[in-house]
Amino acid sequence: MSARMAEPVLSVRALEVAFVGSGRPVPAVRGVDLEVHANEVLGIVGESGSGKSVTSLAISGLLPPTARVRGSIRLGGVEITEADHETLRRMRGVDVGMVFQDPTTTLNPVFTIGRQLTEGQIAHGRLRADAARTRAIELLREVDIPDPAGRVIQYPHQFSGGMRQRAVIAMAMAGHPRLIIADEPTTALDVTVQAQVLSLLARRQAETGAAVILITHDLGVIAEMAHRVAVMYGGRIVESGPVEQIFARPRHPYTVALLRSLPRLDGGAARLEPIPGQPPAPANLPPGCAFHPRCAVARDRARCRGEEPALRAAGPAHLSACHFAEEVPAPSAPRAGDGAEPVRPAVRRDSEPLLTVENLQVHFPIKAGILRRRVGWLRAVDGVSLTVHEGETVGLVGESGCGKTTTGRAVMGLVKATGGRIRFAGRDITSLGRGAMRQVRRHMQYVFQDPFASLNPIKSAGEIVAEPLRIHGLYDEMGGVGRIARLFEMVGLSPSMMGRFPHEFSGGQKQRIGIARALALEPRLLILDEPVASLDVSIQAQIINLLQDLQRELRLAYLFIAHDLSVVRHISDRVAVMYLGRIVEESEKQALYATPVHPYTQSLLSAVPVPDPTLRGVRRRIVLEGEIPNPASPPAGCTFHPRCFRASARCSAEAPAFLPYPGLPTRAACHHAGPLVPAPDAKHPQEVA
Amino acid sequence: MIGYILRRLAQLLPVLLLASVGIWAMVYAIPGGPVGMILGENATPEQIAALRAELGLDRPVIVQYWAWLTNALAGDLGVSLHSRQPVVSLIGERLPATIQLGLAATVVGLLIGIPVAVASALMPGSWLDRALSGWSALALGVPTFWLGILLILLFAVHLRWLPSASGYVPFWESPIEMLRNILLPALTLGIYVSGIFARFLRASLVAELRADYVRTARSKGLPERDVVGRHVMRNAMLPFVTIVGLMMANFIGGTVVTEAVFTYPGLGRLLITAISTRDYPLIQGCILVILVIYILINVMVDVLYAYIDPRIEYA
Repeated sequence: MSARMAEPVLSVRALEVAFVGSGRPVPAVRGVDLEVHANEVLGIVGESGSGKSVTSLAISGLLPPTARVRGSIRLGGVEITEADHETLRRMRGVDVGMVFQDPTTTLNPVFTIGRQLTEGQIAHGRLRADAARTRAIELLREVDIPDPAGRVIQYPHQFSGGMRQRAVIAMAMAGHPRLIIADEPTTALDVTVQAQVLSLLARRQAETGAAVILITHDLGVIAEMAHRVAVMYGGRIVESGPVEQIFARPRHPYTVALLRSLPRLDGGAARLEPIPGQPPAPANLPPGCAFHPRCAVARDRARCRGEEPALRAAGPAHLSACHFAEEVPAPSAPRAGDGAEPVRPAVRRDSEPLLTVENLQVHFPIKAGILRRRVGWLRAVDGVSLTVHEGETVGLVGESGCGKTTTGRAVMGLVKATGGRIRFAGRDITSLGRGAMRQVRRHMQYVFQDPFASLNPIKSAGEIVAEPLRIHGLYDEMGGVGRIARLFEMVGLSPSMMGRFPHEFSGGQKQRIGIARALALEPRLLILDEPVASLDVSIQAQIINLLQDLQRELRLAYLFIAHDLSVVRHISDRVAVMYLGRIVEESEKQALYATPVHPYTQSLLSAVPVPDPTLRGVRRRIVLEGEIPNPASPPAGCTFHPRCFRASARCSAEAPAFLPYPGLPTRAACHHAGPLVPAPDAKHPQEVA
Repeated sequence: MIGYILRRLAQLLPVLLLASVGIWAMVYAIPGGPVGMILGENATPEQIAALRAELGLDRPVIVQYWAWLTNALAGDLGVSLHSRQPVVSLIGERLPATIQLGLAATVVGLLIGIPVAVASALMPGSWLDRALSGWSALALGVPTFWLGILLILLFAVHLRWLPSASGYVPFWESPIEMLRNILLPALTLGIYVSGIFARFLRASLVAELRADYVRTARSKGLPERDVVGRHVMRNAMLPFVTIVGLMMANFIGGTVVTEAVFTYPGLGRLLITAISTRDYPLIQGCILVILVIYILINVMVDVLYAYIDPRIEYA
């Protein structure tokens, strides 16, 4: 902590940012103070609309012209709020480097990686054009990109997602800036790639001694990376302090609520405790403390409603903006209700499963040439078997491109299975005709990931929910408008909202509409495809609880498709892990998370950032090398072997069968299946301390 | 790259072949046909039979088509029924004039359209943007014959700087004379397309300016002229080259009104005359040439596309 003594790299005082438009100014940031020192990682956490990204854009002087900035931002002796365009330009890329969220869009598709790496430094006159290529190769080498000399002349589309984000990090560090701002740098990446990128970011930060501001919604990432944390809500910092204290003894009710609403890899089975309501929009902030309408501590006290609390000391180097910071409970304290998951009727596995998928294959032809001849097959799903019983939730997890969504769509008959069998409620539905399949779909419904794109914007919410009834000609038979009102109530929406249109609902409410639509026909099975992935953390918990309540009341079966292992752990009875079109491991939830036997499951679980900073350095992490291969040309033998830390000669020659693992309720497809303890012979795994 | 161009051209051969069938069959789709056209209404059956034999119309359809096609490939498009001159030489006189005018008009359109688009895209919603949008609407809305006449009145009649009737002067014979002759028709057509160019380019510039890579480029400290002039422009060019290509193709044969106003010896007027006199070989020849140029321009656009966007491979 010697850094604390020195002059901070960045110092922000009383920063206010408002956006002016036709109406009254919209306050996005309302009085933010922060500083970052060299060799320090400051994590900023917050949900959408909290002002975290606007703060970062203000620091780099990249706000749009409609923004009005007040207060002070001092970076390396320059007052940014008063600097002219040219001063700001000279500062960017030299004093501050930025890493943004989505590496597919942050790079310009029409220029080579090498050019994009160095053009900033050339423009600053810090690099001669004839030395650019050598420097670009050096930069790529620093971020562990193999074959940098060959890669430097390639274009972004020739890089994988993880490599692109490495290149973006290299770009941000090209000018040796004193400050790096990383805005959700791993949100768009798969969990194994996220682990690689985070450890790279940590290593480069340590090597260069730069100050880093890490902005994210992911408390796990914060716990693994940050030294200090600032929690933002409603345009202000509501709590800040050392990372250990923020997680162990938070002093603001919002921080506590966030930690409690999170499904965790290391958590119990207790019901999630969502934060009621939704994050406030900057244009429509509640008076007094912005958090009071959702706060468990406020209890409608006049002071919370009337007076905005200032940040005050709540411990050594720990600040909280709460009038009643002393009353804030510990995150692990017993909850308001009994907190335990309400008793669910046991799943009966002795009867015939509701859904049985046997050796499902979905192969898409790859066509090329003038005559569009088939030149190969893309094996999106290549031999998936699973069962779902009545009242049961089966989680299907995997990284992008593993075929989990295609599996769900094939079960619904939305894509054609090219092999295998699908049985639903005792009937083979693999090759049903259109009309017969429609009858089956009455009992089997789909909930989509993106609630923004999956609702027709020109139809009212009531019409959207009624649509399945109308398609099946059952609207009057099933109770007409009364049925729709009942469905609205079931998903926690007021029937008075039936006449509203999708844009009038928040993200969480839209997903409730999507669920109501799926429930309209009284289905027996719901296929939920990433139903909470695009929602804020506090809203996520609301939807998960709703899904669990509905399952209990309606004896629904869920096929829950997701990439988030913590969410899947929380909601599932059994879990299947997919890799490149195949299930590599499947088991009861407890067994799979406690004793995974497939090396991919083990790596996946170890890569998930856990929101507990005390585990940093203690928890063993397996960082997989490389990325998921192209499913059009999968590796021979076991498709995981090129990235596997246990791979032997046999693995590259012979594909493993999917077999029961003795002593556990687990099936796994691995020649060397087995628990992680004792430690694997450290041939490949990079242990990150 | 060369291989790619050749492959793209080879892919177009079937299109061309199919089109040639259509062009050739056109003669038979119209009542009366060439015989009635040549001999008039009072011809005797013997005269008709004799002419049909002379023109080869009594042979089987396939044979006729094959003969026409092989002749066309050898550069013989027949003889004009009207002037009795070879169609190839009639078109050959007009084609350079048409290409010269099309290129000149495109250059004028780009010279006006690109600055207008850039200026208004950089300040969307400003008074300049609104004024320039007004310009685009005006450029599109004013009929070309009227604009042409206005230009003649001003520059030829009133100021006497330029000739009122524009002949074809090849560039390599006298660049200055060529400019004097082509300036007014090129301005007339160029102002019209500048409205289209400006609208399309502005729209794609505005969309690209919102892209994430623009923020990245700025965060590196690039000067704004590089951000817009290189990063944004290169991406915005993709949809734009399509429109420029389409407009250029449109100038081949599609500028009849302007040619008429300036009595310019272009392909468009030749085609219209051929149609009104039912000069079938000449119609066929004109359409074939226009089609070939159209296809060539499209290949050029495709090649440019692949050059601008590395994601499109020369494959």
